[in-house]
Amino acid sequence: MNFEALLTNYPYLVSVIIFAVGTLIVLTQPNLIKKVIGLNVMTNAIFLFFIALGNIEGGEAPIVDPAAPAVLYVNPLPSALILTGIVVSFSVTAFAMALIVKLYFFYGTLNAPDFMKMR
Amino acid sequence: MIPLSKMPLILILAGLIPAFTMPALARWKRELCAPYAIAVCGLVFSVALYLFSFVVRGEVLPLYVGGWEPPWGIEIAIDPLSGMMAILITGLALLIAIYSYHALRKEMKAEARGWYYVEFLLCMVAMLGLVITKDLFNMYVFIEVVGLSACALVVSKGERIAVEASLKYLILATIGSGFVVFGIGFIYMVTGHLNMAMAGQVLVENASRYPYLLWAAMSFFVVGFGVKSALFPLHLWLPDAHSSAPSPSSAVLSSLVVKVYIVALFKIFFVVFGTVLYQESYIRYLILILASAAMVGGSLFAFVQLELKRRLAYSTVAQIGYIYLGIGLGTPWAIVAAFMHLIVHALMKTCLFLCAGAIYYQTGRKKVTQLAGLGAKMPLTAAAMTVASFSMVGIPLTGGFISKFMLARGSIEAGYPYFIILIVVSGLLNAMYYFPILWQIYFVSPGEHDEHGEDQENGTHGNQGDHGSHDSGGSFKWDQIPLTMKIPIAATAAGVVVLGIVGIFMFDYLQKIVSLYLG
Repeated sequence: MNFEALLTNYPYLVSVIIFAVGTLIVLTQPNLIKKVIGLNVMTNAIFLFFIALGNIEGGEAPIVDPAAPAVLYVNPLPSALILTGIVVSFSVTAFAMALIVKLYFFYGTLNAPDFMKMR
Repeated sequence: MIPLSKMPLILILAGLIPAFTMPALARWKRELCAPYAIAVCGLVFSVALYLFSFVVRGEVLPLYVGGWEPPWGIEIAIDPLSGMMAILITGLALLIAIYSYHALRKEMKAEARGWYYVEFLLCMVAMLGLVITKDLFNMYVFIEVVGLSACALVVSKGERIAVEASLKYLILATIGSGFVVFGIGFIYMVTGHLNMAMAGQVLVENASRYPYLLWAAMSFFVVGFGVKSALFPLHLWLPDAHSSAPSPSSAVLSSLVVKVYIVALFKIFFVVFGTVLYQESYIRYLILILASAAMVGGSLFAFVQLELKRRLAYSTVAQIGYIYLGIGLGTPWAIVAAFMHLIVHALMKTCLFLCAGAIYYQTGRKKVTQLAGLGAKMPLTAAAMTVASFSMVGIPLTGGFISKFMLARGSIEAGYPYFIILIVVSGLLNAMYYFPILWQIYFVSPGEHDEHGEDQENGTHGNQGDHGSHDSGGSFKWDQIPLTMKIPIAATAAGVVVLGIVGIFMFDYLQKIVSLYLG
């Protein structure tokens, strides 16, 4: 196992860990709001991963100045993709919240295990 | 006139634009929503047919969106696979839209119906986009649109149980798409491309340098698409979601939505990773094991369900196992069988769900124990259900027989002949939970059902069922359902039989897909 490679690429490691934490929150927390928070932690880890992917050490912002073109630019594509990803994540969160509000009207609680008892 | 090269885009826009004008229509002219949706589905279906006519002749119609070529732009293409899927999706969507016209009046509130069609059209369009796209990130966006609109379809009835099922579906589907997009990130990391074919080329050259990363990416894709397409241990959301949705939505969800994810997974495996890499990977064995577990486990779960739609939903879990088995075996015949089963299952599961909806429409019954005497009261529905059930079991002259036969041939070709035993056992298990339904329908007289069914019922559903059971003791009578519900049921049942008789001739076409993707 090559730990040095792991440490130099720490953004990837961190994003995978956050992804795992987010998934764990979604799957283990009984509270629905916490589940949605976990969902957002998870998707944000993915966004972090993509942004880290696009970053190039010593790269400039990808705006070409015709007078003085830089040698190295940061890859703008992952950032552009993540913009889409954020919109998707936002709409999922909004939809989940709408459903949770509706469930709260039905059950009067946000604790998922209680739903089974009340049914 | 629109040039042919732009037609793949029209296929999507023809559904997408009406989907977003639907809310305005629902606001002002609510009663026009349903005819409008049918017209839109008909239009999209005719566009798909037009494009299909070129694909049959062996043409592939690529389109670079915005005119930018692949390394930068997004490529969508109508090839044999996506052409076939487009026909399947739009054709079934058209039938289901026709069915919804009357069925929804019984199952949904009037205010919700306009929004239902928005979700319906969005779902159809996103599924079309998912099968015709050749770009990984574009695929992710379509996956999310399919997921969100499918959740909306589940919740559209607004019942407590549906809201709960929809939230469960939403959360698990989002986890699934999280895994998928992480996998896409891995692919982009290795190859620097988002176009599938280009990523595939780079991957073939560099595969030996990043074995662990690629295995991780593959397993991420399997988990992600596995959750979304209900591969056996990850199917937990499916029974609730599919059984609590209105019947037309259940038909869409069960016959189309779970399938397009399998198509997407197939494209990623065989275009991005390539046949060689896929055949060498160990994840193939995991797919085989899970598919086998699905074929047996899904059937066993279905056996213990008393609610008709729940039983059908668990049956979907089992049938998804067949398709994954074909993909897991990975040989040409197995892939052909997988796609054959995909088409056949889409038809027969649509038919069964529409029949379940028709039974609910006429009699208000939901349990399998309450179906006694329906053979005389609803002969058309009963006949369609019989055909579809026979196809599920795999009796000759139905589509299910051909696909299972091909799957057996594929498993011999792949060198795993013992999967034939599994296919036979699973077929028998299917018989075990479908034939009791048919037995109830044809051979149990309605009088017996009262003692039989009512004690398990707490009365609420039983009361609704009364007006059907009084007047027609054992006398033969045609179904008391509107024509708009009869046509789709009859059409899907006929489709199952036609596939069973002429299905052999589809192999040439399916071979084209195999030769295009497996190389």
